[in-house]
Amino acid sequence: MTSPADADTEVVVAPRPRPRRGVSLGDAGPPIALVVIFAVFSLLSDDFRTLGNVQNIMDAAAVLAVVTCGISFVLMMGSIDLSAPGVMGASAIAVSLLVANNRNDNAYGLLGVLVALLLGSALGCLSGLALVSLKVPSFMTTLGVSAVGLGLATLMFAGVQPNIRDDMLDSWAVQRFLGLAYLTWIAVACVLVGWLIQRYSRLGRYAFAIGGAEEVLALSGVKVAPYKVAVFTLAGTFYGLAGVMVTSQLSAGLVQAGKGYDFAAITAAVVGGTLLTGGRGGILHSAVGVLLVTVLTNGLVQVGVSPYWQGGVQGLIVVAAVAAAVLPQRRRNQVTK
Amino acid sequence: MTTPVLATPAADQAPVSGGPTVGQRLTSFMPVIALVALLAALTFADPDFLTQRSLTAAVRTSAPLAVLAAGATLVVLCGGIDLSIAALCSLSTVLFAMWLPDLGGLTTLVVIGAAGLIGMVQGIGHVVLRIPSFIMTLGGMSIFAAVALVISDAGPIRIVDRDATKWLTLYVGGIVPMSFVVAVIVVAAISLVLKLTPLESFVRATGYSESAARLAGTPVDLVKVAAFTISGACAGLAAVMLVSRNFSGSPTMADNLLLPAVAAIVVGGTAITGGHGSLWRSLAGALVVTLLRVGLPIVGVSSAWEQILYGAIIVAAVALTLDRSKVLIIK
Repeated sequence: MTSPADADTEVVVAPRPRPRRGVSLGDAGPPIALVVIFAVFSLLSDDFRTLGNVQNIMDAAAVLAVVTCGISFVLMMGSIDLSAPGVMGASAIAVSLLVANNRNDNAYGLLGVLVALLLGSALGCLSGLALVSLKVPSFMTTLGVSAVGLGLATLMFAGVQPNIRDDMLDSWAVQRFLGLAYLTWIAVACVLVGWLIQRYSRLGRYAFAIGGAEEVLALSGVKVAPYKVAVFTLAGTFYGLAGVMVTSQLSAGLVQAGKGYDFAAITAAVVGGTLLTGGRGGILHSAVGVLLVTVLTNGLVQVGVSPYWQGGVQGLIVVAAVAAAVLPQRRRNQVTK
Repeated sequence: MTTPVLATPAADQAPVSGGPTVGQRLTSFMPVIALVALLAALTFADPDFLTQRSLTAAVRTSAPLAVLAAGATLVVLCGGIDLSIAALCSLSTVLFAMWLPDLGGLTTLVVIGAAGLIGMVQGIGHVVLRIPSFIMTLGGMSIFAAVALVISDAGPIRIVDRDATKWLTLYVGGIVPMSFVVAVIVVAAISLVLKLTPLESFVRATGYSESAARLAGTPVDLVKVAAFTISGACAGLAAVMLVSRNFSGSPTMADNLLLPAVAAIVVGGTAITGGHGSLWRSLAGALVVTLLRVGLPIVGVSSAWEQILYGAIIVAAVALTLDRSKVLIIK
């Protein structure tokens, strides 16, 4: 532990959180866990250690990776985002109504995808605005926005399921490049873009700083509010893309496209080492977390555990990971709400 | 764009005065005002609405929601949140349906006890492991949903023996549904216990300022665990009510009650920052939410707007009731 004086200078000199003693192990933990879990399942199941299954895992991780990219920025700020199901549902229905489909004569192709992304951004922006202007905690605003998104999706759904007939969007889920589906490459690109934003853009650096010490940042003359809105907007865009990806996989727009992804993404981010208190972790951490969650899900099914347990396993993981993360800070945050 | 609230507001805050401010007075009547306004609007839209039959039906629909919201209100009063109530309620309906053939009339009590126990485990996890309550209960939510799916094989379980829940479908005096009476009794009993014992001060102190309460010797941890236990038990009771109406238990039966329950709590005017609020408010909030739900089709609005409305209501109600002096940085 550093003394209070040291801690102060540390924050002022470098907004980037300096690794404290023992953190290096925390950073290495998730990748080690990933390797260990992979090895264990390889020993337990013949089907698990095939190349085809590794492809499956990568493809299955694609949507979750994109959602987690978005949520990581929000978690970095120390906020939380439960809006993924609503935003994904809205964008899924929107995109399926805008590309060639069985409901109307629209065939906007990529433009439709873009509109769906913008819808996601708008909903994300709404969460951010409610947070900074109404000063409502983010888990409440995003819970509300999630409901709004689901409502919008239901309105657009209007009782008839839109099936897409767009060749481009269909091909994303089916066509492969270097053994992986296009969707998986999109997810890889998202992780890369997310990492670049986190590492080199002001938005990413400030997101970290807001999570680390918001007061200090504000006292140094930074207007925090626009950056918060921007982070939620960015997250919303990622969810919008995830909704489009689910639509491509299912070949149809579903209101429930994003069901469970909010919690799975939080699990992935937390397991990867992005703390809920903010200021720690990052996109690459979260990417490892996504692989961990997906490998665990896939492996458990391969060794014969009912897929219904999937959510339960995620719940246990998230509780254990958060407990492990807050254990060293027990005395510091005595008040836990 | 204004800068976020910083450490300064604490300094130039007005000295503590005795009476409530205008805003506080207004929010304290919010649920009643909303209720009356809604009733008036619905009666205006459809004069047939203000009949005994439709009111009875509305009140009966609101009972499980009221019980769910009342239990979770205790957790909110302590400054936490319980997002697992709906999933726990679904799990309890499955447990009820599975245990009924063996336990018969005792099932109701056993299910409520089991749900309370599960709530207690969450509370202990929150207190001992120091996991924020919303993440603890979010984890609990997905664990309960998984358990319910696995033990029920992901399908509804029919109930053959309907005598065990028959009492809940009766009407008191031929008018008031028994389930609603039970909801009122539960709220009254918990409120009375809080009032007559030091518990109310404990709960409020924990909600208003946990560290101060701890220093003053309040058994904060015990109070929180108790709040989660009661929240769980209420979810169990709500499950029994749902079963009595649907004659089956299903792993997703109550899942869509989470948002209405949270809406009922915040519309009632209970501050999610803790301390301020009461169970009666949540009862009124549950009635408001139910009226909205049954009222939308009456005024000719598509039920898809229901979700959008819940979202807007939650954000607006929290914005009105939030105790901003306490939360310097809104995460």
